[in-house]
Amino acid sequence: MTQTLQSAKGLRLIAHFDLCTGCEICQLVCSERLFGGFNPRLAALRIEHRRENLVHEPILCEQCHNPFCQNVCPVQAISLDEDTGARVIDPDTCIGCGLCASYCPRQVIVQDRESGKSVKCDLCNGDPLCVRACPTGALELIVQGGDHA
Amino acid sequence: MPKAWMGKFLFVDLGSGSSWTQEVPDWMRSKLMGGKAFGAKLLTDLTPAGCDPFAPENPLMIMTGPLTGTSAPSMRGCVVTKSPLTGTFLDSYFGGYFSPEVKYAGYDGIIILGQAQEPVYLWIDDDRVEVRPAAHLWGQDALEANAAVKSELNDETVKILSIGPAGENRVLYSLISCEYNRQAGRGGAGAVMGSKHLKAIAVRGTNTVTIHDPEAFRAAVIQANADLEKSEDVQAMRDGGTAPAVDFANETGLLPSRNFQDGSFEKASNLSDIGQSKHLWLNSAACLGCPIRCSKMGAVRTGKYAGFITDIVEYESAALMGSNLGISDVRAVAHLVKLCDRFGMDSMSTGGVIGFAMEAGERGLLESPDGISLEFGNVQAAEYLIRSIAFVDNDLGKLLAQGVKRAAAALGGDASAFAQHVKGLESPAWGPRGAAGTGLAFMTADRGGCHQRGLPAPLEVTGGEWEGKPVQALAVEGKADMLIQMQNYLAGTDALVKCDFGGFGVQPETYAALLSAATGERHTADEFDRLGERIWNLTRNFNLREGLNPADDTLPKRFMQDPLPSGPNKGHRFSAQDMAFMLKDYYSLRGWDQAGRPTEETLKKVGVQDLPKFEKSS
Repeated sequence: MTQTLQSAKGLRLIAHFDLCTGCEICQLVCSERLFGGFNPRLAALRIEHRRENLVHEPILCEQCHNPFCQNVCPVQAISLDEDTGARVIDPDTCIGCGLCASYCPRQVIVQDRESGKSVKCDLCNGDPLCVRACPTGALELIVQGGDHA
Repeated sequence: MPKAWMGKFLFVDLGSGSSWTQEVPDWMRSKLMGGKAFGAKLLTDLTPAGCDPFAPENPLMIMTGPLTGTSAPSMRGCVVTKSPLTGTFLDSYFGGYFSPEVKYAGYDGIIILGQAQEPVYLWIDDDRVEVRPAAHLWGQDALEANAAVKSELNDETVKILSIGPAGENRVLYSLISCEYNRQAGRGGAGAVMGSKHLKAIAVRGTNTVTIHDPEAFRAAVIQANADLEKSEDVQAMRDGGTAPAVDFANETGLLPSRNFQDGSFEKASNLSDIGQSKHLWLNSAACLGCPIRCSKMGAVRTGKYAGFITDIVEYESAALMGSNLGISDVRAVAHLVKLCDRFGMDSMSTGGVIGFAMEAGERGLLESPDGISLEFGNVQAAEYLIRSIAFVDNDLGKLLAQGVKRAAAALGGDASAFAQHVKGLESPAWGPRGAAGTGLAFMTADRGGCHQRGLPAPLEVTGGEWEGKPVQALAVEGKADMLIQMQNYLAGTDALVKCDFGGFGVQPETYAALLSAATGERHTADEFDRLGERIWNLTRNFNLREGLNPADDTLPKRFMQDPLPSGPNKGHRFSAQDMAFMLKDYYSLRGWDQAGRPTEETLKKVGVQDLPKFEKSS
């Protein structure tokens, strides 16, 4: 079995854009976990506000089957966490080149201002803070593919 | 420095184009917290007495609070300046996304001084501050300018304040547009921005707001959210924002109808959540960090005005631009309010001004322009007046751009008898004949005719309880005491800077727990009352210094002279004796002398006198 097929059996974050109010509480709690302080720009997910805030669309890390971040990483710092299905960055290996962030099709990889290293969604080890914090149920964690038992 | 605050103010002098930062002194943090209190102190210390609001010396300040930008629910920011409409202290609050961005850029507040020679906009990218040319943006409406600045900076995520043509033309009740659908609406901050030739302020911030004790803070946020969920008022805001208040005010006789001639309107439900749900709403939207989501976003899809996006027509605008003008088509009201938002003028004051003009037209005091009949119910006339005011391109526009107080003085005759304002600020949409404490609230609000500095009306007209006793709507005893407690608490929490709707749910103990965890300093539930009292004396002192006449602690003449013609308060008006009784009680409880001036003893007791002067360094 190839690695990409394995990754299809994992946890996935999905968004119901029609329930999103654009409050960015998901980004606030994510930024605090990743960087120890609040700023929605420093979250591993984002919201596109459209049409004068009539529409809010959460943009999430899809833990891609064909992960550009992993493909472009020159030092193989990104790998599949087989427990969760998340693509995770090993901070000890990451050299902070920023290639993963610049080629992420969803633009949801951020860089630590101090270390320069990349940080991405790791699904909070299977219990994402963003899902817990969302006041409307616009974010959901699902098990994708295969046996849910 | 304690956590949560960023520790510095950004100063920009548009005259020289220079900018610098100054540390927020420890005494300011410990004695004044942020927001309204920082603004009141800075305005007092930075402004020369008697300063013309349009002079370069009048600062335009954007202030945040210690919890702004954190996950504490429902925090906001405020604009503070000297109002060109009232000539006194002005604080105007706004939600949205801008004030957190100020903190992420590294500042607790932005203080803009001076006046640019040519139109400019300000670009604040963390610690990089640029004054950029804006001649190409001058004349654009507030939303066009917002889009143009984003496009020029090639970043859709920068946060922007902007003004429209009304602000450029110094219409005295111009607003600052705080994207989207949020405004620093009242009192003319947009005209001060226009007088500085400042079209927009764009901010991008990449710092974090940090917390002293993250674990305790998370627990306090959980408590704050639980407080919100428990509140019926908050649930009502979540369902319908402030729109249901149209029906409530109509049933209780508080709704302004035809320039406050009446207290009820036959088609009120067309304008309330009932009409708006049917014709406008599609979705709920929230400010940054707010689980309440009081915004009901939608669009006018059909009919004569079809084809634009609109937020909820919140209560004040629905009433002042709807029933107050005798207009019952909610799509037309949304259209008129959207014009105000785009041109950058306060839809509350504009509604008051148009209501005044329509009544003056009907009474023959004001001549209708060609093809336009100044009469209640005429949407076309309202639109004509909005355009005339924003662009100040005809005599009627010039007259009305000054607000109802000055327009009535210019018109003469008995025009002042139906000019609905307190101290120059047009009345909010609560006709208080039938709610005595609400009248006192308008008489004493620090920025003039305002409903957000304590609003006893809902308690008064529903027979609610205050401190365990039923509140009698028409009683004058005890109203000063009740109102002062409301004013103090609201002012104290406006230093936070909290959203009023969040304050419906979040308890004082919870705010204190959030603050204690965030800053690492000990905060208590009762300190907001004390801080509010300090603020209330600071702003009173400033207003008196700027020439406020305490005789202006009064109500629009209509509320004293004209008994309400219908509704549950039929026949009621304010008597001079009732007003004098409440005001005397109020001054006495505030520790002010009989002329409404804080005594030396009071200033000492509340900690105003011992505050050092804030000195700017350049």
